[in-house]
Amino acid sequence: MENKVTILPFDETLDVEPEESILQAVLRQGRYVKYGCKHGGCSTCRAEVVDGDYRLGDSTSFALSDADRNAGVVLLCSTFAESGHLVVDVSETMDDLTEEQYQAGQHIQEFAATVDRIDALTHDIRWLGLRLNEPETMPFVAGQYVEVGVPGMPDQWRSFSMANSPTESDRVDLIVKVLPGGCFSSVLDQRLSLGDQVQLRGPLGQFGVQLSHRPMIMIAGGSGMAPILGILRELVATGNRREVTFFYGARTAGDLFLVEELGQLARQHDWFTFIPALSDAGADGAAWEGETGLITEVLARHLPSTVGREAYLCGPPPMIDAAVEVLESSGCKPRHIHFDRFVPSG
Amino acid sequence: MVAPKLETVHEKSKRYDWGFDYAKPDPKFPSRYIIPPKGKDPFRVMMRGYAAMENEKDNRVYGALDSNVRYRNANLAEPRFMEAMKFAVPAFTDAEYQAVCGAGFLISSVKNQELRQGYAGQMLDEVRHAQLEINLRKYYLKNYHDPAGFDIGQIALGNHPIGTLARASFQPFNTGDPIEVAMCLGVVLETAYTNPLVVALPQVAMVNGDHAMPTTFLSIQSDESRHMANGYATLMACLESTENVPFLQESLERHFWHQHMSMDTLVGVVSEYYAVNRPWAYKDVWEEWVVDDFVGSYMNRLAPYGLKPPERLPDVARFVEDMHHSVAIALAAIWPLNFWRIDPMGPADYEWFENHYPGWTARYGGLWDAYREMSDPSSGRLLMQELPALPPFCQVCHVPCVMPRIDAPETRIFDHEGKRYAVCSEGCDWIFKLNPTIYTGCANWWERFDGMDLADVILALGYVRPDGKTLMGQPHLNADRMWTIDDIRALKYEIKDPLRV
Repeated sequence: MENKVTILPFDETLDVEPEESILQAVLRQGRYVKYGCKHGGCSTCRAEVVDGDYRLGDSTSFALSDADRNAGVVLLCSTFAESGHLVVDVSETMDDLTEEQYQAGQHIQEFAATVDRIDALTHDIRWLGLRLNEPETMPFVAGQYVEVGVPGMPDQWRSFSMANSPTESDRVDLIVKVLPGGCFSSVLDQRLSLGDQVQLRGPLGQFGVQLSHRPMIMIAGGSGMAPILGILRELVATGNRREVTFFYGARTAGDLFLVEELGQLARQHDWFTFIPALSDAGADGAAWEGETGLITEVLARHLPSTVGREAYLCGPPPMIDAAVEVLESSGCKPRHIHFDRFVPSG
Repeated sequence: MVAPKLETVHEKSKRYDWGFDYAKPDPKFPSRYIIPPKGKDPFRVMMRGYAAMENEKDNRVYGALDSNVRYRNANLAEPRFMEAMKFAVPAFTDAEYQAVCGAGFLISSVKNQELRQGYAGQMLDEVRHAQLEINLRKYYLKNYHDPAGFDIGQIALGNHPIGTLARASFQPFNTGDPIEVAMCLGVVLETAYTNPLVVALPQVAMVNGDHAMPTTFLSIQSDESRHMANGYATLMACLESTENVPFLQESLERHFWHQHMSMDTLVGVVSEYYAVNRPWAYKDVWEEWVVDDFVGSYMNRLAPYGLKPPERLPDVARFVEDMHHSVAIALAAIWPLNFWRIDPMGPADYEWFENHYPGWTARYGGLWDAYREMSDPSSGRLLMQELPALPPFCQVCHVPCVMPRIDAPETRIFDHEGKRYAVCSEGCDWIFKLNPTIYTGCANWWERFDGMDLADVILALGYVRPDGKTLMGQPHLNADRMWTIDDIRALKYEIKDPLRV
């Protein structure tokens, strides 16, 4: 049976995986509570249990007094939900934790925007540019996404990651894969034109670059290019010096796009390497002198060891699953692999 | 009686504070930062609740020490590890003592009642920690079979060529600009480094059979959340003024580099070279707590206020791979100048190091072979004699200038106002030049003893056992075949200051 935890006073219920501490569950799902050592030692992540059964790890001997234990005070890093639904309250124990901090910067709002660019990047990939009208700006973190209301279809929303840098906070640029018969795809290819209004809500998602010194591997396929492009543009804008190697996988040369822009970026910045690869080169008759094979094979050829690197993956779930396996087996630590699965929805 | 709410108590306590409208007071410790008069109380505990809580924690530690005595745990633990406690515990105590003074410094210079409440609590905590550590040392002294060194630990550390890194590292808790004090103590040392120090090291103690140290240090760690909160509250209060941001950034860069040099050296050396059983490789612990938690999480939340992660992080990462290996062998090379014993590394150690730090054997294996071969007095040789020159000590962080690798040091030697100095790295060079007056007053260790016979240096330091002849430091853990002052005198080894012009 799946466990759940409700965090008061924010009144949000989150899933808890088996053998996962409440703190891990909170952090995994993109929320923030105060914590320090994560080992039951420092007493930072104190909370009161309001309801439900739990088990406490045995490392809390000094961090919780008998009076604490009797009053149901726990350390979230060492608390495990048992049988069902646990309710914890941090309002007394972390009384200066604000809702904004808990939500970790997620200010989800609705926006009205105007279409100002529609370009066919390939036969099935479109660039959709939207200027924000009301509110006029959306602060977001590179790697996040928005939901776009399907025009003419109430309550139908589709998710797309921002391909622009957060420094351009007055607009969002999206990369959309057109699926035959998909409702957003049909609207985009047949009805939507420059000047049309669309509804947005966001920003959403936790995908984004972690601050560290580690070289980064980026892997994308299809429209998974979008958040990586947004991140790259942000890295350029903030004077990045960390090494970035970007593997982009497509089927044929005709499925590639923005190769020129990324190639130029690589020529301008010695920290950046761009490696496009085709899994079915020549199938469309076009010449190709670059890398060939599945993107995971290309990754393994270029980086036999990924020890000490961080990875950022975006694209179809099978590509992500395969890439995670290759990364872990070549030494990348699981906690340094970040991904955003792009599930197709027309 | 119902306990009044914390806010009510605060409002009341502030009636005992006042502003000066008839004269402008000169600040006791001036600050270049703009400090807002109001803040949030980071301590969040009232004194009566606090005292009861700490009393309970103390009782448990002393109870546990008693049971350790009955189980004779001090002699069941790995002697290799126990020897490290001879210098590590006094180093911790230096930190606690400077933190006591630092909290007092902050109380008298930061005019913000909420923050002062936090500093006041921290001062009491730090006194408790110093007492716990001194009692732990007393327990070792009385119960460990080879107590030589535990008896003079605090003085000995202050005289030791590398032990002075503790003073260099912790003096900034108690000098300079008050906000720099909070940055060094509450933000860098306590938030970034207490986890490696006070959570990771007890894990090493446990797997090496010492149960007294973890009990003491986990009791200490349970107070650290409030200290991290003090650092955070002070930092957030200062971030309210954008004028403070460049100063805060500079302060972060300075203290992050300096604490890295000393704390990564201390924890890396103890956890890998003074352990028979190693629960992890130190670089992995550092990656998790310093990079993922301090930089990736804590610093990430400060980014919107304009504070950036330390720019030398890539260099720190590069140093963490190697520097503790270099310092460990440097300590072994100068073993007659130590007040503890160093067990030579053996085949199982070589294998572990090669597995966790590929290339280790080629780089350090030969030096450890030589150390082991010279461990008997009959060898008539010391590893320090075989070195082309003694390494100078860094004028900023006091580690030997063998960083990050003993075979490829990044030492910088320069003249400043007619005197020659050495620093271990670009980072310490930058810190020195930021404010040379802080660092020029301290004599280089070798300079103090230049021209003296090694035997006389050892006697001057007081690093001999009660028989007046046998050295405290020994290059092995055997009960017999110990080196005496006569063995050293027979070598006719004269200390030469490598910086002498």
